[in-house]
Amino acid sequence: MKKLQSSIPIIRGCFSIFKIKTAEGFQYRMAGLAGASTSIFWGLIEITVYTIFFKYANNREAGLQAGMTLRQIVSYVWLSQLFFLMQPMNIDKDILRKITSGDVAVELCRPLDLYFHWFAKTAASRLTPMFWRGSIILIFAMIMPLSYRLLPPESLTGFFFMILSIFSAFLLCTAYAMFICTVRLNVALGEGPAYILMLIGGILSGAYLPLQLWPDVMQKFLLYQPFAGYLDIPLRLYIGTMSTDSGLFAISLQLCWTVVFIAAGKVLMSFRLKNLIIQGG
Amino acid sequence: MKSLKLYFKYIRINMLSGLQYKGWWLMILQTLIVVVTDPIGIILLFYRFGSVGEWSVEKILLIYAIAVTSFGLAETFSRGFDYFPWRMIRSGDFDRILLRPCSVFVQVAGSFFHIHRISRVFGGFCAIIWCMLKLDAVFSPLNVLVLIMALIGGYFAYTGVFVMTSGIAFFTIEGLDWIYIFTNASYQVTRCPIDYMPKILRNLFTFFMPMLVISYYPASAICGWGEGYAKGLLALPAGLAFLGFSLYIWRFGVRHYQSTGS
Repeated sequence: MKKLQSSIPIIRGCFSIFKIKTAEGFQYRMAGLAGASTSIFWGLIEITVYTIFFKYANNREAGLQAGMTLRQIVSYVWLSQLFFLMQPMNIDKDILRKITSGDVAVELCRPLDLYFHWFAKTAASRLTPMFWRGSIILIFAMIMPLSYRLLPPESLTGFFFMILSIFSAFLLCTAYAMFICTVRLNVALGEGPAYILMLIGGILSGAYLPLQLWPDVMQKFLLYQPFAGYLDIPLRLYIGTMSTDSGLFAISLQLCWTVVFIAAGKVLMSFRLKNLIIQGG
Repeated sequence: MKSLKLYFKYIRINMLSGLQYKGWWLMILQTLIVVVTDPIGIILLFYRFGSVGEWSVEKILLIYAIAVTSFGLAETFSRGFDYFPWRMIRSGDFDRILLRPCSVFVQVAGSFFHIHRISRVFGGFCAIIWCMLKLDAVFSPLNVLVLIMALIGGYFAYTGVFVMTSGIAFFTIEGLDWIYIFTNASYQVTRCPIDYMPKILRNLFTFFMPMLVISYYPASAICGWGEGYAKGLLALPAGLAFLGFSLYIWRFGVRHYQSTGS
């Protein structure tokens, strides 16, 4: 009980850091607009490619056999353009600067747990691109001509489960980003390992190709690996290729992986902080 | 001649400073992984759906690989322009360059060099050779010439995009992200088989930014898909023309440059 009471100020501190960072990121309107144009361009190309394969490929039934219609894929593409934004693509600039300049020492003096302090910051920087850039993509996707349009969710319960799942996906992305961040604490290794870890997550999330269209032998593995929870599980719930029963199971899977990554990040961080080399002078 | 020597001196110094990091080979590995995994979506799509008419996965990959290799060349040897808007205009470092009695173009182009970018060229080139072998293309002197001209033309075209971005950056630095459409996103277009590609995309990447001229037409000429060698050899002039147009914008920008930073 006592421990719980002492953790309240920490939670409050982290929450206000989250709020400040979010408000800060909210200001970049123009960058959001320009960024959205790229996402929309990318989405349109993807949809064109899928349409060609569904209409003209020699084995054009293959998509339906894998359980996806073209309309479902179109919705999948638009939503993946939107939720792709919360995947860790780089380490938060602020944190990276602190690592490379040696300001970690200053951060350690604060009466806040370093892991959760940075967790709040990372979470905010994953969330803010979704405001401007995300809403522009979403509006655009809804007013496209019919064959390119984002369709409404398959069912209301599916939509409800997707919201739950997106929330877990957000926590999962942040937890993994923090895990990468603790790897990056070893400055001598440079950026290489961090980017490789991010890339693996990106590929296995379904952003390159919906996981259901991957080879059949891999399907079991693809569903259980942590990165399905980034993108694929919420989107399957939206387009209705996953029943709500298995949805509950999938969401708990997402949360399990979140806990695993948080634990791994915390352990690795305390290990790294024990023999941390401070840069600069 | 003097500027060329200066350029290579810049590149050498930047390369040596990059090698100071212990993990530099990890960066090469990382970029190589990016290059290899990037087309994974389209390969798996072909694996599930089979060919599209006469378009097999090797054909698509060949066009894609030529575009990626040219982009990699531009990224390796004109990196300075890619970084210019963010690293030089914002900080005011460009003023210092203007004061030196040497070519501004060379100084900016040589200002950054990352050795790991070469892995995009390497990966792309291996893919070109693999696809050509798979497609039974003949390695005759004419074909090799067309390929080399295509890569040089592509290098000019993508350098043109970087130079144009830098030119526009003199007027606005916010919201330059859309230029991404003509760099990293541009070679994604080659994933559409050209017969089925929407007209607007085809025209945009033929007549404005000549991405298809430097990738599809040379590939078609080499493997005999129906486009003649005359169109295949257009890659170099088209790349040069686009670079010339970009240089015009760049010059216009330099003339109107007002100092920033402090």
